[in-house]
Amino acid sequence: MSTPMRLMLIMIAFLLTPVATAAEAVPAATDPALEKRVNALAEELRCLVCQNQSIADSHAGLAVDLKNQIRDKLRDGASESEIREFMVTRYGEFVLYRPPVRIATVFLWFGPPLLLALGLWWLFRTLARKRSTGAALSEAEQARARELLAHGPDGDYRS
Amino acid sequence: MVLGSGGKRFVHAWLVGTALIHSLAVTEKRGAFRSWTVLLAIAAFSLSLLGTFLVRSGVLTSVHAFATDPKRGVFILAFLIAVVGCSLTLFAWRAPRIGLGGRFDLISRESALLTNNVVLAAACGAVMLGTLYPLALDAFGLGKISVGPPYFEAVFVPLMAPALFLIGIGPLLRWKSAQIPELAARLRWAAAISILCAILVPLLMGRWSWLVSAGLWLAFWITVTAAYGLWQRLRHTASGNLVSRLRQQPASFYGMHVAHLGIAAFIVGVTLVSGYQSEADVRMKAGDYKELAGHRFAFSGTEEYRGPNYVASRGLITVTRDGKPVATLKPEKRIYTVRNMPMTEAAIARGLTRDLYVAMGEELSPGTWIVRIWYKPFVNWIWIGCVIMALGGLLAASDRRYRAGRKASAHG
Amino acid sequence: MAEAPNTEAPAAAIQRLAWLRYAVPLGMFLLLAVLLGIGLRLNPREVPSPLVGKPAPAFTLPQLHQPAESFSPPAMQGKVWLFNVWASWCTSCREEHPVLMSLARSGAVPIIGLNYKDKREDGIAWLKRFGDPYALSAFDEKGSVGIDYGVYGVPETYLIDKKGVIRFKQIGIVTPDIVRTRILPLVDSLNREP
Repeated sequence: MSTPMRLMLIMIAFLLTPVATAAEAVPAATDPALEKRVNALAEELRCLVCQNQSIADSHAGLAVDLKNQIRDKLRDGASESEIREFMVTRYGEFVLYRPPVRIATVFLWFGPPLLLALGLWWLFRTLARKRSTGAALSEAEQARARELLAHGPDGDYRS
Repeated sequence: MVLGSGGKRFVHAWLVGTALIHSLAVTEKRGAFRSWTVLLAIAAFSLSLLGTFLVRSGVLTSVHAFATDPKRGVFILAFLIAVVGCSLTLFAWRAPRIGLGGRFDLISRESALLTNNVVLAAACGAVMLGTLYPLALDAFGLGKISVGPPYFEAVFVPLMAPALFLIGIGPLLRWKSAQIPELAARLRWAAAISILCAILVPLLMGRWSWLVSAGLWLAFWITVTAAYGLWQRLRHTASGNLVSRLRQQPASFYGMHVAHLGIAAFIVGVTLVSGYQSEADVRMKAGDYKELAGHRFAFSGTEEYRGPNYVASRGLITVTRDGKPVATLKPEKRIYTVRNMPMTEAAIARGLTRDLYVAMGEELSPGTWIVRIWYKPFVNWIWIGCVIMALGGLLAASDRRYRAGRKASAHG
Repeated sequence: MAEAPNTEAPAAAIQRLAWLRYAVPLGMFLLLAVLLGIGLRLNPREVPSPLVGKPAPAFTLPQLHQPAESFSPPAMQGKVWLFNVWASWCTSCREEHPVLMSLARSGAVPIIGLNYKDKREDGIAWLKRFGDPYALSAFDEKGSVGIDYGVYGVPETYLIDKKGVIRFKQIGIVTPDIVRTRILPLVDSLNREP
């Protein structure tokens, strides 16, 4: 091989070698879509070794292990509810941040709308009553009114 | 939204305190709701005591594991029973004798404020229900459950919505009696403008969503109706130029609107952050960059340094937008020497329209790090909203009539 | 003598009872106080195991000292045994260790260990240093068996009956008190079962 030829080959080899360049960073997770699902689930599960943190937020060893379990199971095709079942079987319902709907928690889930409904019912009743009463004073109230007008306000009723 | 457990334990006291302020307005103006007002005052204080008990007694699990001491819990509970028990007994005994108060129509400012009371009380009840339910089930031996953010978010927001809507209407209703058709006619522009803005803003932010639009609508509704209320008030003030008319309004009037605007700002913060925040988890070595939300985060590697009780790797991240420098962030990964414990110190670039967070994860191989980046739009509006609410309260409390009140009652 | 109209009596009665609704807040508060009082005696951090009363989850793990040999729960079929989760990095385990040692010496019940998320050399060294109360220890390097058993804090101890069903779980340290009042009586009654 002649020298110019060799030089050419070396140059070509050089040009073809990838040189380390600044590049857009790759996501840490190999599958960002899967990771989103993992995090969504992890946020609803309680980290048992921490005080009141979700598995998603916690850095504890158990939390990381459980997140990995979730990821593996999702990748293998398990559904979100199957994974929740898995956790509850081992750790009890305590591990779910969204309390399950069953007989014992019926008041928990239906309580707030019930409270509001009761409150509004009471409200309308009170408002309606306030409107209907007071057309005329009763005998006793008239006597009281006369007394007040004559003697001025009573100590009890000062606002 | 991340609220420390400590903060969560006092939301119910705040809700009742808000109801109290509004109930007081009616009692002052019309002499009505007196027993409500007294009860709310007792409740606000009692719930603060209850919050203290819940945080310190160890009865509920909490992130803040203060040295929970059952003996301390017993003491606080005894104090709670004494104080609250006595006040409620007094209430039960004397409240029936408190006067009747004025009458008012089904549609009136009084009825709006009473509805407000009811909604806030229901919201408070819901928070208490969620907080105490695990304890109740455990006490009855029915098992241990957790009630966490998914519950509170699902329940609290729909409950508060009616109260938030009323913020727009209440201040515009007349005392004692008001007409809906007339009010609706006056408010149709406010409704139209707020709906329009609520539809447009998400589009400007890049992505439309029902929830964001609904939240923004409430915020715009409150703002536009407040502006309308101010305009109406100025229009109906007898005489003077703009400045003198502005000065003629009492401090409580401004206080009310400022506080309500604070709520609107708060809603904007919560809505936009939950709707548009984004994050990226990437692998970076020196020279790499990541684009997130229009910003470019360029990683220039790390430097090591020794702290007082730790060793740290400090990363250097330069943030630019359209080529212009925005911030330099230096997150750290520290290893505290005593227990070989790793800790991350995130770096934050704060701003009015967004916060940028960067945190270092593990070093995968020498020079290659896992870096987590967050973009949180308008998150500071949440805190700013709270400050504005507080300012509104102070402004209202500074109203002259509270100082003149003493003189008046001395005379009358 | 004209009788007072009948409507007076009920109306007055209702008037008198009207004050009751002002007593409702007090009533609700007293109920709350009772609940809180009960709450002070409970421990919110203790999570009861849903596995009590269920068969011990199956697994096969290499043994700590003999990696070539494995261990599986069916090997203990027909016997009542203790399954204790420990690790060399667990400081509380050192506290309960003397209790386990004396329990092993008494021969009341065989103890199988689960070396959880540890390094083999560290686990072996730890047992050498503090004594080995275990008939054998299974080596759960990744902690996956621990997850199957609902382990969330080390140490944890399970009492398993002859049929392989978990009958008792102790979260946290096994104290002499717990051995005397909970474990030994239960071991006795379980041994009497077929």
